[in-house]
Amino acid sequence: MLASIVPTAMRRRIDQWIALRNPAARDVIQLHNRRLYILPTRFGYLYALMLFVLLLASINYQNSMSYALTFLLTAIGIISLWQTHRNLLGLNIRLKTPEAVFQGEQLTLNFEIENPQQNIRYAIGVQYDQQSPAYSRVDPQHKAKLELILPALKRGLYKPGGITLFTRYPTGLFHAWGWLKFDVPILIYPQPRFDHQLEHILMEQHSGKTTVDMADGDDFAGLREHRQGESLRHISWKAYAQGRGMLTKTFQGHANPSLWINWSDMSANSLEGKLSQMTALVIEAQQQGRKFGMKLPGIDIEQDSGSAHRALCLQHLATFKQNQENSELSVSE
Amino acid sequence: MHRIAEETADKQAILAVSLSFVVAMFPHFFHLPLWVSGFALMALAWRGAQARGWLWAMPKWLLVPLVLVGGISVFAQYWTIVGREPGLALLTVMASFKFLESKTHRDILILVFLCYFLLATHFLFGQTIYIAVYMFIALIIITTTLVSINQRDENVVLSDRLKVASRLIVLSIPIMIILFILVPRIPGPIWGITQEQRGGVTGLSDSMSPGQISDLITSNEVAFRVKFDTDIPSQEQLYWRGPVMVNFNGRTWKQAKHRELNSLNLTQTSNPSRYTVTLEPHGKNWLFGLDIPTQILPDSYMSSEYQLTSNKAINDLKRYSLESTLQYRLEVNESFDYLMLASQFPDNSNPKTWALGQQWAEQFDSDFSIVQQALQMFRNQDYVYTLQPPLLGQNSSDEFLFSTRRGFCEHYASSFALLMRAAGIPSRIVTGYQGGEYNEVGEYLIVRQSDAHAWTEVWIDDLGWIRVDPTAAVSPDRIESGLDQALNDTLANFKIGKRNPLIGQLLYNWDNIQRSWNEWVLNYDPRKQARFLNQLGLGIQSWGDMVIALVICLMLITGGYWMVGWYRDRPAKPAEYELLINRLLKKLARSGYQRQPSEYMDEFLQRIKQEQRYHDEHLAQIFQVYNKIKYARGYQKPTVLKRFRQLVNSWQLKGDNTRK
Repeated sequence: MLASIVPTAMRRRIDQWIALRNPAARDVIQLHNRRLYILPTRFGYLYALMLFVLLLASINYQNSMSYALTFLLTAIGIISLWQTHRNLLGLNIRLKTPEAVFQGEQLTLNFEIENPQQNIRYAIGVQYDQQSPAYSRVDPQHKAKLELILPALKRGLYKPGGITLFTRYPTGLFHAWGWLKFDVPILIYPQPRFDHQLEHILMEQHSGKTTVDMADGDDFAGLREHRQGESLRHISWKAYAQGRGMLTKTFQGHANPSLWINWSDMSANSLEGKLSQMTALVIEAQQQGRKFGMKLPGIDIEQDSGSAHRALCLQHLATFKQNQENSELSVSE
Repeated sequence: MHRIAEETADKQAILAVSLSFVVAMFPHFFHLPLWVSGFALMALAWRGAQARGWLWAMPKWLLVPLVLVGGISVFAQYWTIVGREPGLALLTVMASFKFLESKTHRDILILVFLCYFLLATHFLFGQTIYIAVYMFIALIIITTTLVSINQRDENVVLSDRLKVASRLIVLSIPIMIILFILVPRIPGPIWGITQEQRGGVTGLSDSMSPGQISDLITSNEVAFRVKFDTDIPSQEQLYWRGPVMVNFNGRTWKQAKHRELNSLNLTQTSNPSRYTVTLEPHGKNWLFGLDIPTQILPDSYMSSEYQLTSNKAINDLKRYSLESTLQYRLEVNESFDYLMLASQFPDNSNPKTWALGQQWAEQFDSDFSIVQQALQMFRNQDYVYTLQPPLLGQNSSDEFLFSTRRGFCEHYASSFALLMRAAGIPSRIVTGYQGGEYNEVGEYLIVRQSDAHAWTEVWIDDLGWIRVDPTAAVSPDRIESGLDQALNDTLANFKIGKRNPLIGQLLYNWDNIQRSWNEWVLNYDPRKQARFLNQLGLGIQSWGDMVIALVICLMLITGGYWMVGWYRDRPAKPAEYELLINRLLKKLARSGYQRQPSEYMDEFLQRIKQEQRYHDEHLAQIFQVYNKIKYARGYQKPTVLKRFRQLVNSWQLKGDNTRK
């Protein structure tokens, strides 16, 4: 809104000033007076114009009741300025670290808005840049959850930027808002793209099947002592009932051999294309339960398995040669 | 890019704004042309049906020509689009089109603003307390709509929405009052106001024919109120002078062309009466003064017939202070031309009246005796004063004087004036009001339309114009006690005091409130403002002072609101029992028993017991009472809380309990 009317140099100054007053927070932001801003909306200006016309008419016709109405409407404007501001004041906002998504998917930001005070807060909106906002009402001493769904346009590691908590309640004449600057990582993995070439890579390294003890195999292999942290799904309840203690069923499966996902093996021409292929391979390898390692220029990741390993690999793929790491997430194309 | 204004409005919003529009328009439906009202209602119905999915949206290509047709129709109705009624009709038609094309959040908000604007237009048609109260209710309804639209929550019940809107308005009222008192008033008008005759207002007209005043008599409406600075004259002296008529065409009396009076040609023979009149709007130009006003008011002139006339039609409440003298000699040297005019008797009309006048002229020497003779005739013969006289034909005076003999003040005045002319005495009709009712609550006089009256003036050598009221001869009661005394008709029972004394008292109070409303609210103009601020004695004199006072008052009010709001909204303090239990838990933590956030009190107790291999009966009791206070109903009583306090305070960690 400011952009159109304020010269660039001054805007930078204003931005700096706002940034100074709104330090980023890791967990919770409290909207106190210094963080709150309020300006008339376009309807506020229209309303002011209407009041001016009414005042002129009152003067012209020397009509006392018309004066009274004009002044009452003016007073309603003044009161709603205060009430709009008060509708945001003192709220606490939390943003959970969002789950990482793949490029092209939808990113969900989960906000929790807490109202520690005694007044009902209606029409509390949260908005990311110019995206469509989400609204909620927050009852006294309650928490409300608000969800913003954003397009994940580009892979990388970002921080959220340009989030405002705003309200126009009760009259829509004023727009009060506070900037929400959270120091929370947003991770967008490259878009996976699977093609025949990758099938080939998966098949090529598919020699020499070995049998491995694993929980998710096909054939039942026997029982062994339950270890802490193992899934309860595989406990043999029959044995437990017989008083033999906690035993875990083991299975033998045809585990696939380990795999190397190598940058230089990728067929795509572009950087993004190669990353997409590698991402697809990581997903596929994880699904097949294979151990895999990854080689990017300058980055080597040892072979391993498990979801933590997968996440590590995907994070490297997401941030590999990212233009500007940890910049603010942009959601407009 | 997302703009909140462009969001599609929901069904509820459309219906709410439609209701607001009907409420804001309602009183206008009575004086707008039928087709305008009908059109507005049809547009609303269409949009409502569209919101429910019964009709399709009006397409743009149809809407544009329709707007043109609408505008032209308004022009065709009035042959203008400026002025009060054409402007209102145009606004209504255009608002209806706005309804038809409304779609987004923005459209709805604009319609709400239109409703607010419409409220102001009603005050151009009247500013009574009743209208003000209606508009206030309408304002609450419109504001409720505005709040609901911005609440963005379908689950809020109507009463809560109403509460929010009412609170907004109630909080606004003190600010409104401050603004009303302190915003410097500018004398208007800024641009020219079209002078228009307003229909539907009761009051005297500029002509008089039989039956005209008796129509007025049935109206209970207040014509004006008068507050006297000097003593209130007796009833029979309260002649409120209005339009003077000198031209007679055989049936109807009319005013002559006005000549402005250059200087007062009268001799006062009594002390002047001083008083202030608050005149209700009557749509004509004349002002009323006690017979006979000796002052000329600003923005008005005195005609040569001593009729006070305003330069502007009285379309709003008008307040003026006047001086009158009750005993006088008027225009002893009246111009010859005017006396000729006042002696005209149309040929071929009322021959019997003419003959009787002629006969008297021969019979008596002095004009004075002729006047006496005429009054005697009314008094002694069987003339009747009645509100329901028989209808009269072409020679109304002849028929009345010699056959029907039943008539109202205009019959007597008219016939008497004619008789005088026939006898060679110049005469004219004066219309106005006679009498008035004293309101002891507010110590002022109420003059109603039912006090309308007509009397005559005759010009006699060396005496000038003399007031003669033939009605007084027929019915002295009318003049001394008022109409309802003179007539046994229940029709004319208007005086408040005549009713049940308690109701009478209430009605006097209510009339007094209306008078104060007129005086303090409706008449709050630059002069009144200056006087009022002066009376306050705060030294507020210039515009600068007013603005400073305004800013200070606004800061005080909003600051007060802010503080009260802050106090009421502040987070609740934890209850005493919570503070006590927290202290206890801290004590336990210090000795190594840290309650986990997810742990229930029972579980925590169990754990302590397990780890300690010792059961602390005291602690168990504390937890039990705590659970009861917190979760069970009916335990938050002072006695229970007191016991809990004692329990907690007396609890001590036993030495051997400390975790090793």
